Amino acid sequence: MSSVETNGLTRRFGSLMAVDHLSFEVKEGEVFGLLGPNGAGKTTTVRMLACLISPSEGSARVGGYDIGRDSLKVRQIVGILTENPSLYERLTAYENMDFFAEAYGLSDVQEKRNRIRELLEFFELWKRRNDKVATFSKGMKQKLAIARALVHKPPILFLDEPTAGLDPESSKGIRDLMERLSQREKHTILLCTHHLEDAEKLCSRVMIINRGKSVIVGSPDELRDKIAGQPVLQVTLKKLNQKIIEAVKELKQVKEVDVDDSASRLIITLDDVKSATPEVVRSIVYAGGMVLSVNALRPSLEETYLKLVKEE
Amino acid sequence: MRIQKAMLVFRKDWREVSRNWQVILPIVVIPFMFSVLLPVLLVLIPSLAATPGTSLGGFETMIQNLPKHVQDELAGMTDQQVMVYIMSLYFFAPFFLIIPLMASSVIASDSFAGEKERKTIEALLATPISDSELFLGKILVSFIPSMMVTVVSFIIYSTVVDLFSFAIFNGRLLLPNLVWILLIFGLAPTVALASIGLTVMISAKVKGFREAQQISVILLIPILALVFGQVTGAIIFGPVVVTALIGFFAIIDLAVFKIGVKLFKREEILSKLA
Repeated sequence: MSSVETNGLTRRFGSLMAVDHLSFEVKEGEVFGLLGPNGAGKTTTVRMLACLISPSEGSARVGGYDIGRDSLKVRQIVGILTENPSLYERLTAYENMDFFAEAYGLSDVQEKRNRIRELLEFFELWKRRNDKVATFSKGMKQKLAIARALVHKPPILFLDEPTAGLDPESSKGIRDLMERLSQREKHTILLCTHHLEDAEKLCSRVMIINRGKSVIVGSPDELRDKIAGQPVLQVTLKKLNQKIIEAVKELKQVKEVDVDDSASRLIITLDDVKSATPEVVRSIVYAGGMVLSVNALRPSLEETYLKLVKEE
Repeated sequence: MRIQKAMLVFRKDWREVSRNWQVILPIVVIPFMFSVLLPVLLVLIPSLAATPGTSLGGFETMIQNLPKHVQDELAGMTDQQVMVYIMSLYFFAPFFLIIPLMASSVIASDSFAGEKERKTIEALLATPISDSELFLGKILVSFIPSMMVTVVSFIIYSTVVDLFSFAIFNGRLLLPNLVWILLIFGLAPTVALASIGLTVMISAKVKGFREAQQISVILLIPILALVFGQVTGAIIFGPVVVTALIGFFAIIDLAVFKIGVKLFKREEILSKLA
């Protein structure tokens, strides 16, 4: 069953086409990434899906509700981390959580208190609950903003750039927390990011968008295969000689061999790495080579993404 | 419309506003000036210090232009009593319209434009609180504290004036009277609402709290016109004039609120942030 389904979703701001006939589907329980450079249309897409702005054309259903007709119901079942943390800095962490809990309809006092405590403890903010948000670091604010998005236990979560502007350590902290969270609470998550590490680590499927248009959709592995082709085989030897190189080149599955003499390493391009690897290794050993390591190297998602965005 | 949701927004905004000295300072200092400092310095101390037969100076023109019923009230009073009577009951009256106007405008600027400036508006608009509930909550947080400040200032002013009038008028208390009750409980709320409505309109167009506050100052122009009208005797705050002004501001309230409600739409606010 689909949690989010868009059909030709389009948004124009004057002459600017921010989102251009975007159609995609996010399955229940899936972590789906919207990956794209700044200005690609990610935030506008999320704003339309969260019923903050209406589409110029097209339609979408979130949790089975139409974003045009049932906007109040959509807002009830969605938790959103906006582009900015959007926290009230003169209020304490607890006051922020308390306000949003009530705004999202948590009226039972005990249930509300328990949920706030549970989330602030999970995000390691419970000890700072009575401090004003103005005194928090950027990473702490981001954690609090994610906690706020979760306060009403929404089945669907929209996270817009959760690690934007954070140092590498804080980014990793947020990523680790989100990974634990997605395993623990089983939300459907739509994650907007231009950080490939976020997409690679957290998403089961990714859609790359650029200038408001969908470029490609698939799992991170599928995207790499589709765009950058098959992985290559890297074999590191104790000592490399011409006899070994010739033995490898003679194999019919081998398309190309790059030699790195300084590291005694061969980079071998094959038709099918998985099925050809045993044969390659055997020929190296028969030629007297002593194998130290064998790795199937894939291009990183970053290389794949940059290649795609550049082509576009 | 769910009133408890509007009250939730009211409570949240009030917590925010009450912790912002840029907002609290003017809504405490200016009422103190109008209700205690200026009356004591300009009217009551000089009148007590003056010897019998002191000239009325610049107030003679104002007194001459007063309507007959007011002139009748002054019959038999000494110059000292006339000065205290005119200054306390008439001269200071329009100043008390500046209090609700300024307080509501400062709070509304913080609540509407300030929320946009601090970029907290998006998460708020993403909640299942409707546009009308949000709008009402924000109107209430601008209106209730500004009216409380006005009423408290009026009570303090009445006490100060009565303390002096008790001595000068041989035990007579000047305030409250009908005109001032109409002014505080009838005209001040309509002025506050006009000020809020206009600030909402301005906040929709500007980027920040300060800008909204600065532009809202234009609202002082009609109030200052009333002050000068009083000084020159052209307009005297009697029950009829105050009632007419209540009607005038009520029409302005309706007009600015109609436009304000149109401008306060999620779509409009966020399109400007995009």
